[in-house]
Amino acid sequence: MIRVEDLSVRFGDTQVLHDVSFEVAAGESFALVGESGSGKSTILKALAGQVPVAGGSLALGDAAGAMTAKARARQVQMVFQDPYGSLHPRRTIDDTLSEPLLIHGLPDRDTRVLAMLDAVGLPRRFRFRLPHQLSGGQRQRVAIARALMLDPPVLLLDEPTSALDVSVQAEILNLLKSLREEKGLTFLLVTHDLPVVSFLCDRLAILKAGRIVEMAGVEALRAGQFASPYGRELFDRTVHG
Amino acid sequence: MTTRDWLLSDDPETRMQARLGVAYRLARDLARNPLAMVGFAIILGLLLVAAFAPWLAPYSPVEGELANRLQPPSWTHWMGTDELGRDILSRVIHGARITLTIVLLVAVISAPLGLLVGTVAGYFGGWVDRVLMGLTDIFLSLPRLVLALAFVAALGPGIENAVIAIAIAAWPVYARIARAEVLTFKGAEFLDAIRMQGASKLRIIALHVMPLCMSSTIVRVTLDMAGIILTAAGLGFLGLGAQPPLPEWGAMISRGRSFILDQWWVATMPGFAIVIVSLGFCLFGDGLRDVLDPKQRSRG
Amino acid sequence: MSLLSVRNLRVTFPTDHGPVDVVRGLSFDLGRERLGIVGESGSGKSMTGRAVMGLVPKPGRVTADELTFDGQDLRGLSEEAMRGLRGPAMSMVLQDPRFSLNPVIRIGDQIEEAMAVHGRLGKRDRRARMLDALSAVRITDPERVARLYPHEVSGGMGQRVMIAMMVVLEPALMIADEPTSALDVSVRGQVLDILADLVDRRGMGLMLISHDLNMVARWCDRILVMYHGEVVEELAAGALMEAQHPYTRGLVASLPKIDETRDRLPVLDRSRL
Repeated sequence: MIRVEDLSVRFGDTQVLHDVSFEVAAGESFALVGESGSGKSTILKALAGQVPVAGGSLALGDAAGAMTAKARARQVQMVFQDPYGSLHPRRTIDDTLSEPLLIHGLPDRDTRVLAMLDAVGLPRRFRFRLPHQLSGGQRQRVAIARALMLDPPVLLLDEPTSALDVSVQAEILNLLKSLREEKGLTFLLVTHDLPVVSFLCDRLAILKAGRIVEMAGVEALRAGQFASPYGRELFDRTVHG
Repeated sequence: MTTRDWLLSDDPETRMQARLGVAYRLARDLARNPLAMVGFAIILGLLLVAAFAPWLAPYSPVEGELANRLQPPSWTHWMGTDELGRDILSRVIHGARITLTIVLLVAVISAPLGLLVGTVAGYFGGWVDRVLMGLTDIFLSLPRLVLALAFVAALGPGIENAVIAIAIAAWPVYARIARAEVLTFKGAEFLDAIRMQGASKLRIIALHVMPLCMSSTIVRVTLDMAGIILTAAGLGFLGLGAQPPLPEWGAMISRGRSFILDQWWVATMPGFAIVIVSLGFCLFGDGLRDVLDPKQRSRG
Repeated sequence: MSLLSVRNLRVTFPTDHGPVDVVRGLSFDLGRERLGIVGESGSGKSMTGRAVMGLVPKPGRVTADELTFDGQDLRGLSEEAMRGLRGPAMSMVLQDPRFSLNPVIRIGDQIEEAMAVHGRLGKRDRRARMLDALSAVRITDPERVARLYPHEVSGGMGQRVMIAMMVVLEPALMIADEPTSALDVSVRGQVLDILADLVDRRGMGLMLISHDLNMVARWCDRILVMYHGEVVEELAAGALMEAQHPYTRGLVASLPKIDETRDRLPVLDRSRL
């Protein structure tokens, strides 16, 4: 469903990604783990078409090769880290959820918006609220709903719970897990939080300074058996502070 | 459930109710500011006077009796008469129409133009930004009245040309403000999100970027109204705006200048009108700014 | 005698719907120890720290039956007297160092300036103290760092500089409000280490305010769990797993573990609290 081969990305003179390759199967949940500056978010942005690719190839979803922005939108959507910055402050929830349908000329907007509110567990009466009338967790539900409006097979998750309270994080993680099971979604999750990976993902790649240092199954993570020294360092830091 | 509860409901049931709710909250906050209400009353007064000028004015604004020239204010002529024996009150009342026309036309031409230039420059950045802002800076570096003067001199005197000239001098400010506003949220994730949904650039600018710059532009335009009125009056005073016998306030002052020492009211009465209307726009604009300030928007 | 005694602290804000208590009758004592205050957003934990520092923004109102710092009653103290205390007696480390440092003054000069405002040391002594403080926060080449501008250092380094700036004044009480949440995971430990070390070596009192249960449990001696403006539970740091209150237990349970095998995470049932 996602294939990344020898991906390189440069910002000016600095190369932030060096020949990164990995594959994610349909319905799989894959995590990119690393510290800030490791390039994990840049991979997400490259897949989202938001940063220019310097070398290598990307394939996404059902289609192969180059895509228009509109075609890409049907294949992949993203949930952002900051629920306060990812919703337009002057548009109601209804505006935000209807917008992708309007752009792609899809019918039955009312039914679809209401069905999506139900799916992400938001009360229907919130439909015409503005973002500032919602809590952080509720906003993140709106952001997830927006990402699912076009029924894309792939969802990119950029630290989707790191800005949320602990108890709200559990709700959002449960929601993401349920949605994946119901809709057969493919997840690509970026995070620095290993326990979240343990809960939500099947496999993970550990990144350092723009390179993948290790790929492992989630069983290796749970058992604390990483092959690379850096992987073990990350694990120790999570467990022992 | 009262209408008020319906408007303030946290869970509006329709789009219409949500929009009315937002408008009601704005109006309520505005109504709590006494100075803004004074400004609003003045603007409302101006609108009414302009709308009903022919019925309100006791005499004709253009025909006078030469026998009655330069009469001081009295019960028959509340503001006195001018050098052609015309009733100044009637002229001031009719002048409200001209002032309002100029102000509205300038706002309608310059604000959208500035908004468009500013948002496009801010959103695209790079060479688009440099070219558009370079242009803006050129216009901005020239004093507004001088620029307007130059255009009127080129286009010829008259109200229409005065409007065009003032509008050309006014838009760069809005472009600057809109661009600055865009830069504050340009990197925001909600714009990434809308791009990822495949929206066209036109759609993003028109539906997602512009609405966020709208309130600061509206506030600025309201505050600028006073300046526009003064520029229009200045052009009129210099004889390059409205032409005789139109009762434009600036032109009236200009003509009254010759008699300022002996017949003060000829120049002073239209001067009062300019000051009061300018003040009204300023006070209302200040109030609007307080209400539209995004930090205050979140309050219930 | 405890360093800080708080009895029945209340912080109230007026709203459209009448006054709202953000902190509701909080009481605690702080000695020369590490006290953790945990809670989620809106629990009133940050307002508690600000109330002690006298930094509650207007139009908030602070009342308390007792608010004593080092034997001195803080209630009704003038703004001027409070300003005299802030710095040399008590200080606060905030979330993001980049907003708290002056961007156009070199780091060393800023630290010396802080001393000059409050102390009567000579210029040479100030410089020595400044370099000491930078070493105390484990900056290996203080001479070089002192010459840098704030934008030239990383987030973790910036936060250490902030702490150094407070340490030079040797406050008796340090309030750290989410001191690490703007930092990378790899440097969080270091910053907390430094704070803990200052408590042990200089006999400081530390109030560590955070939403991160595990972090607080790891670095503090005692934990107050706040919910809705009240302390719902007080725990010894090691006893997190023995928490009794349903809120604390709910929080602990809802955290994913590194060897997570639960199919769904238990969600806090707020209606039962």
